Amino acid sequence: MIKKQKNIISYAFDCILGYKMRTMVILITFLIATTMISSVLFVKDGLEKEAEISIEAAPDLTIQFLRGGRLEPIPISYINEISKIEGVEKVVPRIWGYVGISNYVFTIVGIDTSNISPLENFGLESGRFIKEGDRGKIVVGKLLANLLNLKVGDNVIFLNEAIQAKKYQVIGIFSDQTSIYTADMIIMSIEDARDFFNIPNGYASDLCVYINQRYRPSDIAVKMSTIPNLRVLDKDLLLRGYKVAYASRGGIFVTLWSIVLVAVALISLSQMIVVGQQSRFEVGLLKSFGFSTLDIIEVRLIESLVIGFFASSLGMILGYIYSLYLGAPGLIDILLGWYFLPREFRIPVFINWTTVFSIYSVTIFPLLIATVVPAWLNAITDPDIAMRRGIA
Amino acid sequence: MIELRNITKIYNKGKPNEVIALKDINMKIKEGKITVLTGPSGCGKTTLLSIIGLILTPTYGDVIYNGENVTKYSDYWKTKFRRENIGFIFQHINLLPGYNALENILLPLYSMDLNPMDYMDRAMELLSRLKVLERAKHKVEQLSGGEQQRIAFVRALIKDPKYILADEPTVFVDEETSHIIHDIMEDLRDRGKTIIISTHDPELIKIADEVYRFTYGRLIT
Repeated sequence: MIKKQKNIISYAFDCILGYKMRTMVILITFLIATTMISSVLFVKDGLEKEAEISIEAAPDLTIQFLRGGRLEPIPISYINEISKIEGVEKVVPRIWGYVGISNYVFTIVGIDTSNISPLENFGLESGRFIKEGDRGKIVVGKLLANLLNLKVGDNVIFLNEAIQAKKYQVIGIFSDQTSIYTADMIIMSIEDARDFFNIPNGYASDLCVYINQRYRPSDIAVKMSTIPNLRVLDKDLLLRGYKVAYASRGGIFVTLWSIVLVAVALISLSQMIVVGQQSRFEVGLLKSFGFSTLDIIEVRLIESLVIGFFASSLGMILGYIYSLYLGAPGLIDILLGWYFLPREFRIPVFINWTTVFSIYSVTIFPLLIATVVPAWLNAITDPDIAMRRGIA
Repeated sequence: MIELRNITKIYNKGKPNEVIALKDINMKIKEGKITVLTGPSGCGKTTLLSIIGLILTPTYGDVIYNGENVTKYSDYWKTKFRRENIGFIFQHINLLPGYNALENILLPLYSMDLNPMDYMDRAMELLSRLKVLERAKHKVEQLSGGEQQRIAFVRALIKDPKYILADEPTVFVDEETSHIIHDIMEDLRDRGKTIIISTHDPELIKIADEVYRFTYGRLIT
């Protein structure tokens, strides 16, 4: 039986090389389909990964102050009240806002340098992070660094809303590993941010609450809801929100590309029918020689798996190149939506093994159906009839 | 002995284009002999060969090999029987395009538990005898009709089958090759092979041990 199996495998490979037209039709259609699907999914996974990274930097709970349903700076005096809640480990004020430079909008984040910031965990391409006592110093993302061709040690002037020029020295530049999250970020001390945004003393944009690991942030959030005028944002809620946003946007495209895949599967099916005449004849002939129905299905199965696996793998490589190196033109605008990034900026691309497995499943499975089922139908027909239909 | 009892084959039964290809055929084909089926085109010879070779199921009647009625046997059994016992030479030659002559010849061996390469010498010997050795590596598309027929002939004999079913085996070949085929057929008979040929070729009819004549789906003699 081993020799027979070897013969069947050998014949299946001969078919791949022998029936060049059939092989090329399947290869090209599935290459196009897989490239499209994989580029969408890789970018979607990349965006989700970015969301996760940005959430990692977020505090367990973020407290905002509402007056008349609108956001206003929060009095720092709330820190004492919140710190008394059981499970709260630390409450840190933060001041942030936006500044327009050239055609882009950047986010200035003023951090309390007396506390360690999770942002320190993000890799810097050069320089160092803000430390206690730093004044007039900033750490910038790659977008600003690229835009103004900034290097560590350079000075930069920003205009605030009161049209006052504020001068800062660049002491660090984020690496592009966390491109989207840090791309438009400018980190400075909370004092500098207060000065830039003219936030009065005793106020902050929001309060970052860190919870002891033994407690669930959602439970603490419930306790805080009794304090008037506060809005509490849960880290998990933020993550779910991000994921839903990306998934629904990505989802639209997955649906679209799935339709394309079905179309491509139909094309290949019709091609199989065109090639089917040749295939019918071949199956009839093989049966007359003594190939069993199972042998014929095995040949087609191996043929389809090899072509499908090769085409899908190649398609995924092309999808990766299309997304990462070409910037996924025509796709990224829809996936990113509100998030504006210049064309030359690195698109977040992430390869998730579940996604890779899903792509193999959605591409190879229809191919197996399209090739194996007709082969089986021909194989259970009298060989003479199959050959006559093939020749006719 | 191959016995055919009341074989009837109706194509498109019950449809407006119904064709009765064979009607109530009864025959006894002796083992180790050359049996010829002859008659005008469309008289059902090819259909009968296909039924004998178990690649076509009769509408009615029985095919009996050595006393065993195999008509209703499973597809798996028939396939195995063909694999081990039957070599076909088809009227339309039926070589696989895209492959060379040698690959076509070795193809029937791929369904068996053996190494097809071990049969290379036998293939070369038969190709040489039929004067197409130099065409062994040529693609089917590059071969003439006569050459293709000779390749199909070698393919039918490659696994040295017990039964050889040949449908018009000399129709495309020249006189010289035709004689070679006759000689090979006689050699095979001498080795105890059972050969059933459908033909108009008077030379082949001459070497036959038994001749059955057909007309419009019926056996005359």
